[in-house]
Amino acid sequence: MVRHIKLAGLIATLLVIFLPSFTLAQDVNFGVSPAKVKIDNLPPGEATEFELTIHNKDEIAHVFTFTTFQPPEEEREEGMAGFPDVSWISFSSPEIEVAANSQANVTVTAAIPQEQKWAGKDWEVWLGIAAESSDLLGVKLYVRCLVSTMGGKSNIGLFAGIAAAIVLLGYGSYYYLRRKAKPE
Amino acid sequence: MKAVITSILVAFILALTFSLPALAQDSGTITITMTGANEISISLDKTHWPLGNVASNTEYETSPPIEWCTLTVEGNCNVNTFIVGKDAEWVSNPSAYKWTLSSDGTNGETIYGLWFRISGDTARGYVPVTKIESEFWPYSGGSGSSLAPGDKKQFGLRLLTPTYFVSGRQMQTQITISAVAA
Repeated sequence: MVRHIKLAGLIATLLVIFLPSFTLAQDVNFGVSPAKVKIDNLPPGEATEFELTIHNKDEIAHVFTFTTFQPPEEEREEGMAGFPDVSWISFSSPEIEVAANSQANVTVTAAIPQEQKWAGKDWEVWLGIAAESSDLLGVKLYVRCLVSTMGGKSNIGLFAGIAAAIVLLGYGSYYYLRRKAKPE
Repeated sequence: MKAVITSILVAFILALTFSLPALAQDSGTITITMTGANEISISLDKTHWPLGNVASNTEYETSPPIEWCTLTVEGNCNVNTFIVGKDAEWVSNPSAYKWTLSSDGTNGETIYGLWFRISGDTARGYVPVTKIESEFWPYSGGSGSSLAPGDKKQFGLRLLTPTYFVSGRQMQTQITISAVAA
């Protein structure tokens, strides 16, 4: 009898409640547009802005949160490198509440530090939008954000032009002085 | 004197030839291209799996096992999808007690395993859900392609409870299914 009671006690201690939550069941249904954003010619030291629209297709309001994500190399578009620092991407608000069957915009800012080493680069970062939920299953949508900074060749061209001018001017001056020094 | 003037002119033209395109680039405009009016969207027809009491070191499967939840591509662009899990936390005090999500689907003391299986995916069968975002559909080495608008994928989950845990605590976890334009 005592053994049976001990066994029942042991079974009871091995039980736990695994309840993902008992809120009213709701489908997860929202969309984000555009699905892909391409920024070209962004000079280091400058920033640019664009808007994402969140479409809440549910019958209840949802709070949407925004994050950035570094996709693995195999998921990036061809020729795109990983974004050096996701803190260069910011959202106008870390979260936004969107009413049922409505849409709302969030402004995204991409700002590149003013350093020559960031010129002429092609990067990819994903912008994550998720509906806050305590449900077991959640959905996150990623917007591909491709950023190309203005080329670093501009200064090379400028320096080449100046160097050519100096060489030619020097040669011209030398030729002129030599001719002047020559007796008639 | 003529040579000097000619040299200066040539130098000036050369400098302009090299520098103007460079200077023009500096004053280029930033262009932002929003790819069409594409909207990315997926939906899930189930988000809850209320298990009730569970025993240690035991497997639980959704019912039906692999057609429990339907993922539907709702937007107007093709997508690649991913899945990621997290540690299960004690609802009453999340920072005080948790079950760690296993990295390979196996279990241990306060370590639990989580798996998913997509209907029709006989090549992979059950795949562990880990804390690192991994391919849901399509997957590397598989013959499947990105999901097009209107496409559906049915899947189920399997839970393997820890070999030991503190009883009587309500645990909660979250699995996130994500999508990106293909």
